[in-house]
Amino acid sequence: MIKDRFGNLAYQLAALLLAFGVVSLILISVDASPSETYKNIFKGSFGEMRKFAEVLVAFVPLLLVTAGLLVTFSSGLWNIGVEGQVVLGAIATTWVYRLLLESGLPPGLIIALAILGGMVGGAIWAALAGILKVFGGVNEIFGGLGLNFVSTALTIYLIFGPWKRPGVASMSGTVPFPDEFSLPLLANLRISPWALVIAFVGIVVIYFLLQGTYFGLRLKAVGKNFRAAYLLGIPTWQYAMYSFLICGALAGAAGAVQVAAVYHRLIPSISSGYGYLGLMVAMLINYQALWAVPVALFFAALNIGSIQLPIVMKLDSSLSGVLQGVLVLFVLLAAGVRQKFGRKAQ
Amino acid sequence: MNVELKNIHKHFGSVHANKGINLNIPTGTIQGILGENGAGKSTLMKILSGFIQPDSGSEVFLDGKPVVMHSPADAIKYGVGMLHQDPLDFPPMKLLDNFLLGLPGGIFPNRKEATQDFSLLAREYGFTFDPENYVDSLTVGERQQLEIMRLLFLGARVFILDEPTTGISAGQKEKLFATLKKFPEQAMTVIFVSHKLEDVESLCDRVAVLRGGELVGETQPPYVTSKLVEMMFGKEITLGERQPVQTGGVVLSMKNVSLEDVRMKVKNVSLDVRAGEVIGLAGMEGSGQGMFIRACSGLMRPVGGRIELKDKDLTGKSYHTFKRAGVNFLPAARLEEGLVPGLNLTEHFILAEEPKGLFIDRMMGQQLAEERIKSFNIRGKPHSTVESLSGGNQQRAELALLQSPLSLVLLEHPTRGLDIESVIYIWSKLKDRCKTDGAAIIFISSDLEEILQYSDRVLVFFNGKVSAPLDAGKTTVEELGQLIGGKGWADKGEAHD
Amino acid sequence: MRTYLARLAMLAMALMLVLSACGGQPAATEEAPAATEEAPAATEEAPAATEEAPAEPFVFGMLLVGPYNDNGWSQAHYEAGLYVEEKFNAKMIYLDKVNPADRPGTTPDQLAEELVAQGAKLVIFNSDDMKDASTTFAKANPDVYVIMASGDQVWEDGKVYEPIPNLTNIMGRMEYGKMIGGCAAALSTETGKIGYLGPLINDETRRLAASAYLGAKHCWEQAGNDPAALEFKVTWIGFWFHIPGFTTDPVDVSKDFYSTGFDVVISGIDNPVNLAEAQKFTAEGTPSTGVAYDYVAACSAAPDVCLGVPYFNWGPDYLTAIMSAADGTWESQFIFSGPDWSDINNHDTSAIGFVKGDALSDENAAALDAFIADLAGGLNLWTGPINLQDGTAYLADGEEATDQQVWYLPQLLEGMQGLSASE
Repeated sequence: MIKDRFGNLAYQLAALLLAFGVVSLILISVDASPSETYKNIFKGSFGEMRKFAEVLVAFVPLLLVTAGLLVTFSSGLWNIGVEGQVVLGAIATTWVYRLLLESGLPPGLIIALAILGGMVGGAIWAALAGILKVFGGVNEIFGGLGLNFVSTALTIYLIFGPWKRPGVASMSGTVPFPDEFSLPLLANLRISPWALVIAFVGIVVIYFLLQGTYFGLRLKAVGKNFRAAYLLGIPTWQYAMYSFLICGALAGAAGAVQVAAVYHRLIPSISSGYGYLGLMVAMLINYQALWAVPVALFFAALNIGSIQLPIVMKLDSSLSGVLQGVLVLFVLLAAGVRQKFGRKAQ
Repeated sequence: MNVELKNIHKHFGSVHANKGINLNIPTGTIQGILGENGAGKSTLMKILSGFIQPDSGSEVFLDGKPVVMHSPADAIKYGVGMLHQDPLDFPPMKLLDNFLLGLPGGIFPNRKEATQDFSLLAREYGFTFDPENYVDSLTVGERQQLEIMRLLFLGARVFILDEPTTGISAGQKEKLFATLKKFPEQAMTVIFVSHKLEDVESLCDRVAVLRGGELVGETQPPYVTSKLVEMMFGKEITLGERQPVQTGGVVLSMKNVSLEDVRMKVKNVSLDVRAGEVIGLAGMEGSGQGMFIRACSGLMRPVGGRIELKDKDLTGKSYHTFKRAGVNFLPAARLEEGLVPGLNLTEHFILAEEPKGLFIDRMMGQQLAEERIKSFNIRGKPHSTVESLSGGNQQRAELALLQSPLSLVLLEHPTRGLDIESVIYIWSKLKDRCKTDGAAIIFISSDLEEILQYSDRVLVFFNGKVSAPLDAGKTTVEELGQLIGGKGWADKGEAHD
Repeated sequence: MRTYLARLAMLAMALMLVLSACGGQPAATEEAPAATEEAPAATEEAPAATEEAPAEPFVFGMLLVGPYNDNGWSQAHYEAGLYVEEKFNAKMIYLDKVNPADRPGTTPDQLAEELVAQGAKLVIFNSDDMKDASTTFAKANPDVYVIMASGDQVWEDGKVYEPIPNLTNIMGRMEYGKMIGGCAAALSTETGKIGYLGPLINDETRRLAASAYLGAKHCWEQAGNDPAALEFKVTWIGFWFHIPGFTTDPVDVSKDFYSTGFDVVISGIDNPVNLAEAQKFTAEGTPSTGVAYDYVAACSAAPDVCLGVPYFNWGPDYLTAIMSAADGTWESQFIFSGPDWSDINNHDTSAIGFVKGDALSDENAAALDAFIADLAGGLNLWTGPINLQDGTAYLADGEEATDQQVWYLPQLLEGMQGLSASE
């Protein structure tokens, strides 16, 4: 057992070194110093409080999305539609804001309702993918991709149509809400403690849901063997739907935070790709809710830290995406190699 | 091809599965390998077929040449092919595509030619398949036939069969044996792994017996059954006497139930099953007994008639409704349908329990698992994943998952692939449960002796026809064999109580 | 099997720490910015700067909405930055592709802070898209000077006036450039159909499209054509440039124009994609031309079919503003600079200019020069009667538009096709 753990760690270390090695080679090939690059990424993400706050701004939606995906992964579903669920969360949040801004209700209540609305919006969008899967026999990957496109189209339609700024038809987004309607930020920083609270509540709930509840165990059974789970008496399709709903609600919360705490309005790419990034994080941590926090933080740090690259080193900041992708690939590869090697060793 | 195994050792962690086995199998023989579950048969065969590598120092010789096989593909290149206990095919594929898999040759297989070869080979061995059919429409028995054909087609010279007779009917078995007996003429070597004495005795030219990872003896005909059993178990065991049971009230009542799927119709079956009763379903694979047992569990919706459980009409209700009414179904494909690979025993037992509150009480689960493991004699730990258990222990785990209260247990091939000890144990457990809960049992088996031994009444299925219930005490293997083969139906008539 | 995969991420973070520590230790504290600024531009500049003045150069930052080499709007800003570096002891740091599609999850004010962290004392926001963010940033960073190009926040006569002492708006009077471009189009069209490739719809884009129309109409009529025979159609793509999945593809829009008889397309977007299409159509036998936009050398994309380019020359105004920030004479103001009519292509004095393209015939070039001379002589096309697209009178006969009337044009003009995007 202990030996096994050691072996595992060795494989992961190898994967990690390989990933950094490959990225370093890419850097060297464009005449950039790898150590300089990593240093800049690190300084750009953890170098000072303000930057760390930016990392947290990216971390919150990423963690929420990852938490949601842990649920769908557990039930064996590839919820690619999570990106669109983030978008719908943002749309629903914006919608609630638009309805209530003039209502005279206390801003705090409006914010809470808007975020709740976002969760409902995300859940409804996820339910569509679920219905397509359960009743229409449409694989959730294809259904989700389709719904992602629809969600983008819907955003564009709203921004250019019913929700456009007066006299303007621009991708720039809807009219920003007054400051008092956004989640309060920490002084001089862009991170809202409330957003952090939402994210941590999300991951903690999911952790306990998956680790400690009957519900979580049943989800896992459904994910690992649909047929056997059914014969063991688990209402399988209902559980598939529940997992879509939970994931959608969390993705919706991510979208809500994007509107309520970051952009204060609806913009076309409001999801910022956090849905797809969350898929990478979830793949990397392989159902382990405990690891969602450090890995999501790491990915968020890469995203934010890499902003330094074009400014300081004239490198493209998509390098962080390359590093993230390569890392996931190598880790999956290491797991595959280990599995093959491990089986032979038996 | 001559096969020689020298000093084969294999460790799995602390388990020493093969302990220095030396065995020489001459060209053109049918070698039987006997042994109970966990004796090391499967490990030895997996080494010989390249699935796993032996510990260093072990040597395999084919026709006198030392060979090292890293994979089954390697093995087949050397001419060694293996048929597994659980057929390794790819369910959602067409037969032909499954067949084409692993064939050497280009990216674009010549389908037309392959179709011809396929049909030719199938005819030669008396199997009837439609190459364009899908694998998942086949029964387990038919899948095994397909796998045998595929290995033949790949040019196997050494042919390893791991418990090949468990899934197939008596007729198919005869056909198989006739086929295998031709192999030595073509200088092919057959290694026949089984725990069924009768099969080994009737087929094999020589027998090697494994026990506890060691080769404990080799014999040649004439075989002495009691001697073989003693070598296998270290002691003599018999199935014991049939025990008639007292039956209670009607548990399951089927009235003119008709079933239909794309291939077959089962018409107007009426049957009352009483508490404590055991009904055996006999018939060739795919004769309608599978549909019948699924209808009894709500997994298949009848097209006509009524199904009542303890006087409650459950016709057309879902499996979960049946389950709440005390019906449990244990499918044949244990890892595909019965258990959840990746989850451990404790988690399985927790899943089968009614949830108490929202959170799982881990302590309770651990205790529950330990109790069940003990009372069902499962060789495994609470944290063992089900796929790490042997077939017999998986079956015990499935039994341990039976809910309480229980009114009807439905089993498909409950003892397939298990050694005698496990068979006896499992049936005694089953009968115990039925006695305490007042439950009835309906089971499918292709082992007629098992059916006669444990059933009170027997239904025979032939091509969708269902016989009237036969008193197991009064019928014989011969009679059942005839009915299964479609003979003697005139006086048995159709169905019904 | 992969239970411990996640440990990896922690390792990764640790590794990054180690790598960065190894790489950076010697130079870490003192020389960090200098050490990292290894871009070729910076090294070229460095010796000159030291010769002129041993003092620290004034560092200014620039956020570009598109790529710095987009052959259009963003490149014009970028080169203005280089101009400032050349003329003054200043150093530019910039970040391009600042838009939500290219830099998801970021906001311009956040990115501006990154520039400040790199030493910028003044930040230029180069796109209308960043107007809200520039306000937010300026208020949050009162010590940093802000130039919001094309914006109107600190225009006392503007509709959204807000005193922000550290913010200045700068915009060129591109109306003239567009009139000249429109004139070139009208002189060159064979079919009398002119297409206008519009970005998104707002005050700025409406007034520029309308100016192009006024120029076209003027020259069309001057040449003795039937006013009713001129067709001028605007199609908007939704953003300053193409963002796949989010905007209409300007290539498709250009194609539509050229294939339906519009033989001249005027670009109103940040890069001249219409020229490439014109070249294709010309090659296939449909003579087509285009007018580029924004950047002085934009015609280089397809010189043979380019009638000319009205361009921005941000350099002089940026230089003035940056120097005032450096010497402490900064004043928040709204700068709306016209061309230097003595030479609209004077790089040091004219805020906008027009470069004629190879596709413009000599005869038409002469006519265009005459038109430019008329403009220089005081011709004002924004003189009534001018009606809005829906027919309401905007300028009475003889009435000259005020800057506000031009800046905040509420609709397209009567005679133009296309959406006005009014409520």
